[in-house]
Amino acid sequence: MTYHNLLFVLAAFFAVWAVMARKLLTSAIMLALVSVTVSLIFFDFGAPWAGVFELSVCAGLITVLFIGGVSLIRTEEEKRPEGRARFYALPLALAAFAIAAWFYLPPFFEELAGAKVLVSGGGTIGAALWGLRRPDLLGQVLMLAAGVFVIKSVFPRRTEK
Amino acid sequence: MDKGLLAYLLIPLLSAVIIPFAARRRALLADILANVTLLAGLANIAWLALRPSVIQGGFADIPGDGFSLLLVGAVYLVALCVTFFSAWFMPEGQPNRAAYYSLLLVSVSAMTGVVTSTDFFTLYVFIEVLAVTSFALITTDESAGGIEGALKYFFLTFPASALIIVGVAVMLLSLGSLSFESLRIAMSAEAPAAAVTFSAALILLGFLIKSGVVPFHTWTPDAYQGAYAPVSAHLAGIVTKISGVYAIIKLATLLRFFDGRAQALSEMLMFLGMLSIAVGALAALRQTDFKRMLAFSSISQVGYIVLAAGLGTPLAVMGAVFHLINHATFKTVLFLNSASVEKATGTTDMDKLGGLEHSMPWTSWTSVVALLSTAGVPPLSGFWSKLLIILALWEAGLRGYAVMALLFSIVTLAYFMMMQKKVFFGKKGQAAESSAEVSAPLLAPAVLMCGIIVALGLLFPYFYTYVKVVAERIIL
Repeated sequence: MTYHNLLFVLAAFFAVWAVMARKLLTSAIMLALVSVTVSLIFFDFGAPWAGVFELSVCAGLITVLFIGGVSLIRTEEEKRPEGRARFYALPLALAAFAIAAWFYLPPFFEELAGAKVLVSGGGTIGAALWGLRRPDLLGQVLMLAAGVFVIKSVFPRRTEK
Repeated sequence: MDKGLLAYLLIPLLSAVIIPFAARRRALLADILANVTLLAGLANIAWLALRPSVIQGGFADIPGDGFSLLLVGAVYLVALCVTFFSAWFMPEGQPNRAAYYSLLLVSVSAMTGVVTSTDFFTLYVFIEVLAVTSFALITTDESAGGIEGALKYFFLTFPASALIIVGVAVMLLSLGSLSFESLRIAMSAEAPAAAVTFSAALILLGFLIKSGVVPFHTWTPDAYQGAYAPVSAHLAGIVTKISGVYAIIKLATLLRFFDGRAQALSEMLMFLGMLSIAVGALAALRQTDFKRMLAFSSISQVGYIVLAAGLGTPLAVMGAVFHLINHATFKTVLFLNSASVEKATGTTDMDKLGGLEHSMPWTSWTSVVALLSTAGVPPLSGFWSKLLIILALWEAGLRGYAVMALLFSIVTLAYFMMMQKKVFFGKKGQAAESSAEVSAPLLAPAVLMCGIIVALGLLFPYFYTYVKVVAERIIL
């Protein structure tokens, strides 16, 4: 139970950080971390496939696309800083939500943990990721390499100009 | 995943990572490393498939289904031609030179991943890697046309990715597995579940968009025309064939089109194939830009492969596989030649060109070989693949399609002859006066590919044995 709560808090924390971050790049990375924690929650509820796909598609592919996109517009973004005053209300809203969650979320997780027993064919993260979906990991490595090279290919030209 | 071919994926990836570090002090090392990696891979594939003992044994010792190895060979061959050409084509001191080669090698790794994967989700992941690398490669010279082409490529192929991932999700829900094998077993059953066929149809639709088949072809001419010149050859020669057409052939065999398990899908695919042949050829007749005309020709030739894949009989699959390889060879020659013409004259507008044969004889005559092969003139390789496709259609009782396929082959010859006349033959245009033949290294890839076109045509019996082994292994 503590593990679930910790993951949930982490997911919420990263999500808020993604919204609050000043730099778009930090937002994209935080969004990827939200996906990682959500996929860990999936794994723990005995849904390794959902976890693996969340990890592959959201934390892997989408993040590379976001980071690539952010890198392309970074110079424009730095020129025009955004008015961010209204986002400072977010921690206040989050505090109110945390107090409500303290009362309501534990029973919700208990119910979910009960559903876990009904699900068959679960497995450990290692088994799902390494045993079942190993080729996808290779695809992820390739995607990360592609993302780095896309940035390296686009940046020198922009900085020269 | 076919583990026997894993090295062909990992080694280019390793080189791609090393290149930026190695080329930090000497930019030339990027060219050398990329070319050596691809040449070594190609030599290794040639040793696996073409050593005398393997040929004498009727290619029975070929690892895996033989199809993957054949396609990995085609990927390495086209990529080697493109990297070799780029080494001399790219201006010295281009800031993103190392990243360009790294992206090319990552795209080779991704294509190897696509053809060796045995699972729909893995296939999707590698195809997305290919989309990201293609997007960056198209914009290499950052011209306005390149950026427009890249954006069109991205936005029009994005719905395709969405369809594929939805199809994958429906397949996981209905079939409980994503492996090719489980789809094959499900389709062999007496009454395959409708949801399974539906999911396969969604995936098929996604791949049809990715391969630029009519009516999903709008991104193709802009992407090919706007792309950095050697990248057009890479995209048209192999990338769209692997990211779209390969998957269509694979699905056609998995869905057992040959025994009518998914009759409606099979008929729809054949109709779209025929439509592509017709629309591509008729549109190519009206083009005035060299690269744009080649792009429409590419749409038309992909139509032949899709038509054969839709029919799905062993002979048709053999024709589709052979035409896919042939398309990689002749389209690479034609696109590389268009790049040479662009470098020599500064334009690809056919109305401004003319009489280039006198100043660029090698480029002119390699174009003639490639265009004759595309039109299906014997004894070049394109003749045999088109013959197999037309025979398969005739044998299946689809005589209307067979006659149409033959007629549009004549239209293909017509628009290519017009192109040859406008660009190379006839009166010397203004551009031809001041231009000279490109250097020998820029000609070498086109000459090599022409050699392969002639060799595949003349040594057809050997290649037929290989393709027959492939068709038997992937269908039965």
